Amino acid sequence: MSVPMVTKTVTTTALAAMAPPSLEALGDSFAQTFVYYLNFLGKLPGGSIILKYIKLSYKNDPIRSLFELALFIFAVHYFLSSKRKENKADTIRFSDKEINELVAEWEPEPLVDEVTPREKWLMKSIPQIIGANGSKAFIKGVDGPVVNFASCDYLNMSELERVREVTKLVISSSGVGACGPPNFYGSADVHVRLEEDLATYLGAERAILYGQDFVTAGSVLPSFLKRGDLCVVDSGINLAIQKALIVSRCDIEWFDHNDPEHLEQILNELKPVLDKQKIRRRFIVTEGIFETSGEICSLPKIVELKDRFKYRLFLDESRSIGVLGQNGKGVAEHYNIPRSDINITIGALSNSFASSGGFCVGVVPMIHHQRILSLAYVFSASLPPYCAKVASEVIHQILESTDDGRSSSSIISQLRDITKFSYQLMEKHLSSELTIYSDSNNPLIHVGLAQKYRELLGFPNYYGSAQFLTTGKPSRYLNEFDKYYNWESFILQKIIDLTLKNSNILITRSKLILEHESLPVLGPHLLINIKRTTTKQQVEDLAHALASSSKKVFANLHNNIDVLNLERELLDY
Amino acid sequence: MSFTLTSIPNAPVDNRPDSVIADHEYGKLTLKEYLYTSKHPVGEPLPTPIDDEPPMAIYIATYISYLILIIVGNIRDFFGKVFRPKDYEFLVESNGYAPWYTAFESFYVRRLKTRIDDCFARPIHGVPGRYINCFNRKAIRGGFVYDGTSNECLNLSSYNYLGFAQSHGVCTDAALKSVDDYGTSVCSPRAHSGTSDLHLECERVIADFVGKEDAIIVSQGYGTNANLFSSLADSKTLVISDELNHASIRFGIRLTGAVVKVFKHNDMKDLEKLLRNQIAQGQPKTHRPWKKIIIAVEGLYSMEGNLCNLPKLVELKEKYKSYLFVDEAHSIGALGPSGKGVCDYFSIDPNRIDLLMGTLTKSFGATGGYFAGDKKIIDKLRINYISNNYTESVPPPVLAQIISSLRVIRGELNPGEGEERLQRIAFNSRYLRLGLKKLGFIVYGADDSPVVPLLLFLPAKMPALSRMLYDMGIAVVIVSYPATPIISARARLCVSAALTKEDLDYILEKINEVGELIYLKFSSGIAGGSKIPGRPPRMTLEEALATNVEDCKQAKLG
Ligand SMILES: Cc1ncc(COP(=O)(O)O)c(C=O)c1O
Repeated sequence: MSVPMVTKTVTTTALAAMAPPSLEALGDSFAQTFVYYLNFLGKLPGGSIILKYIKLSYKNDPIRSLFELALFIFAVHYFLSSKRKENKADTIRFSDKEINELVAEWEPEPLVDEVTPREKWLMKSIPQIIGANGSKAFIKGVDGPVVNFASCDYLNMSELERVREVTKLVISSSGVGACGPPNFYGSADVHVRLEEDLATYLGAERAILYGQDFVTAGSVLPSFLKRGDLCVVDSGINLAIQKALIVSRCDIEWFDHNDPEHLEQILNELKPVLDKQKIRRRFIVTEGIFETSGEICSLPKIVELKDRFKYRLFLDESRSIGVLGQNGKGVAEHYNIPRSDINITIGALSNSFASSGGFCVGVVPMIHHQRILSLAYVFSASLPPYCAKVASEVIHQILESTDDGRSSSSIISQLRDITKFSYQLMEKHLSSELTIYSDSNNPLIHVGLAQKYRELLGFPNYYGSAQFLTTGKPSRYLNEFDKYYNWESFILQKIIDLTLKNSNILITRSKLILEHESLPVLGPHLLINIKRTTTKQQVEDLAHALASSSKKVFANLHNNIDVLNLERELLDY
Repeated sequence: MSFTLTSIPNAPVDNRPDSVIADHEYGKLTLKEYLYTSKHPVGEPLPTPIDDEPPMAIYIATYISYLILIIVGNIRDFFGKVFRPKDYEFLVESNGYAPWYTAFESFYVRRLKTRIDDCFARPIHGVPGRYINCFNRKAIRGGFVYDGTSNECLNLSSYNYLGFAQSHGVCTDAALKSVDDYGTSVCSPRAHSGTSDLHLECERVIADFVGKEDAIIVSQGYGTNANLFSSLADSKTLVISDELNHASIRFGIRLTGAVVKVFKHNDMKDLEKLLRNQIAQGQPKTHRPWKKIIIAVEGLYSMEGNLCNLPKLVELKEKYKSYLFVDEAHSIGALGPSGKGVCDYFSIDPNRIDLLMGTLTKSFGATGGYFAGDKKIIDKLRINYISNNYTESVPPPVLAQIISSLRVIRGELNPGEGEERLQRIAFNSRYLRLGLKKLGFIVYGADDSPVVPLLLFLPAKMPALSRMLYDMGIAVVIVSYPATPIISARARLCVSAALTKEDLDYILEKINEVGELIYLKFSSGIAGGSKIPGRPPRMTLEEALATNVEDCKQAKLG
């Protein structure tokens, strides 16, 4: 279930500012426009007199009209330049002494504000793992091993002996770092091989690697967008893409989160406006599995729409690659849609691939363009070679676990089965104050306070600012600290802590930084990462532990007054 | 063998004995004299780097070269569109879609860079240490084909200042052990379950090393900067940025919506003027005082080889109550008597700088970035820094590499080895730089900089130099627009402690040969290197090398 958002289309205003015409077009259209305006002039009241005057004076005395024209230009120039001077006058002139005084008086704010007492618990609640972040882990301050539902290693590949073997092989032949950007001797055989593997695995023409998951979107999108281009974007998009859009300065239209009907409506509204313009680059931007809501995007409808309205599709598969589909090829495979229907796919290697970095796949010219103009590719060192090898090995493992290379991979189906089981069991045991928000194919289970309960406790529908949605421009200031967001997150943390303490089970919660989010933020979620090797027994233990710890936490939380008591508790955390 | 492979070959098996391989990764020091300690004399002003100018004719020839390239490119585009429309499909509007990019946007890449594509992105295998193994390949339409062989080149291209790119030694052992103990990846952001004892240890070691209270590490240097400024600045903040700052810094600042002012590269007068004016004027329109002012600079500029004027920067930032951010991507490890970067080099207390950022990619054979500061600042950033909550955590083998290489540098592991590495990079940098100057080349940058930009100017000389040196077994990086001004194409030589003095002699010999052949010696002498000061230096190789060891240890080169 998703809370209705405040999306409002601003079609006409955003589009009215047309892209500046290119030089050639300018030359062509100038003559036409001139004649057009002359005729237009005739239609204005009094305009015909001026027109007649121009014609007459030109006939009688061309030199004079030239002179008049020169005068006119001078007047315009004078008018404009006086304006320019006014702008200059905006800078006040100070003497050196005055400046010294101003400098002496100036009291800057600190570089960053100090952590406030209300925020302290945020830091203290980050668990410290001793050793590997595997399916079992040791945590500082907790006796004995805990069952780990907090790492995103869905396929449990970081613990696979074969994966560790290839890692060691590469490190003992190539060292750890790549020591150079890909364009300057930083591409090793293993990098190029992974690019080939990814392209083949996903059924795309080419692939390109990035050194970190988060920078991928922010580097790929702006390489294909500039002022005047258009993106129609899901309003529940993740932070990396929000930032990418802000940097690329394109026009943005939002559609309601995961609502293809609304998308269609917007595309319909935009069509007449766009038809009148020179064709510009336009994209529909969405995610495979949404990072913030855990839902799966309605890809078939979106693909149909993008073809019908001639948009390109940018899809972030960071959370769906290695997870969805018969062979883990992401949301496209999940819906049986060929990869070639998705123009730009990006994804992360840091979740199910047990590696690091990000990637982008698509057609040759699109990928080639990035090799020279995508900032995080050009201006950063390549991934460590062993990371590339690990990802290749995981792809190999997935493909190897299929019988004939076409039907289902057993590695993926293991994950799918246990995920399905987990959702069924969780539904059964979840207390009424909690709801599952994620799609039941998503091994990252999002559990949050039920909407009714949230209202009871006085929590708002969403946090943060909706300005980006309503105006297409992000706020120029960071969001303020929000005590309700802090409290709601703290409630979840209490559940996490109890579950850890009483049952040695580690789960986590969404940790969006409200200050940085440009879009409205839904209530925080508990996050439970199901792994391929998670056993049914572990899921049962989890469901019971969660039921009992949430019961304790909700026992004295009935209304918005009770919520206030949380303040003291979190100060003492 | 013939060039038939369309996909990248597997790395050939290296059957040489371990000791030979180890020596090819990190050459043994041949004589104790080939060491030096880099340090700026306290109190002395930083000499302004002298950017020598070539004769006017070179400039004119360069412009004409580009003009010809552009004209020819346009002609080819014109006929191409007529006769081979299929090749141009992706550049024109088709079927109602705008092209991915316009012919104009991609002109530079298609018509200029593509011609010399073979000089970029040469795939390698093995360790990029003293030698680097590049796969031999042949360009065909739309890509390359391989024959499975590779060329072992002396490596002037990798960021490997201290020579830690190795597959043998204590660091490799530590990295391998971490795979057993911690796995290949953490598969979680720091704030969730991606903080292990190893991460905290690594941050402690880095903070200690750079002399700050605390530090945060990130899996990529670019990503460190790209997300950092969002937590420091908003639109009431003024960020003052050096015009040559790295793309990641500029990207990070752009994300914040802060007002950005750029000052002329390394020009402290310009910076002071800007500071005074901006503090006086305050925010645009409202004239309210700025919330804060952040000055962002790099320690060592990677395309110019220039050092920032840290003493003056610190003085200015204190006088004008601003905050100073220094990106030590290329200087950490590579500069200063104990390798602690520009603060160490200039003998300045690191506490006088607010945020010390750096990357672990260049000197430590690892990858990633960090920033270090007061505990108060780092504490806040731990909960308010995008990378901490949204991005992958640093993988364990990288952490192990960082920790162990820092321990080596500090002398805690293999005592003496770290010191030798530091003194070798200092010596090698000065030796190569002075050698090139003596031979008559124009090189930019500070005497102690391990980055030695060798100026080529004419675009056609880039592939010429790169290909000839490659055939002689030397790998170099060539750069031009957009990383540098269009007029000053260059080869960027990155010196490493892994190279021996004899390697450098060979490199000087070969660059000398090529320089004669393609006319690269046009220095005027103002940047030093001549026997008679002021005269253009044009020593023969023998003359240049005869006393180079002693000469390069003079306090001032030239
Ligand atoms: C000044 C500066 N900052 C940051 C970076 C990025 O570092 P990394 O390659 O680790 O992403 C670089 C590297 O090129 C750099 O020169």
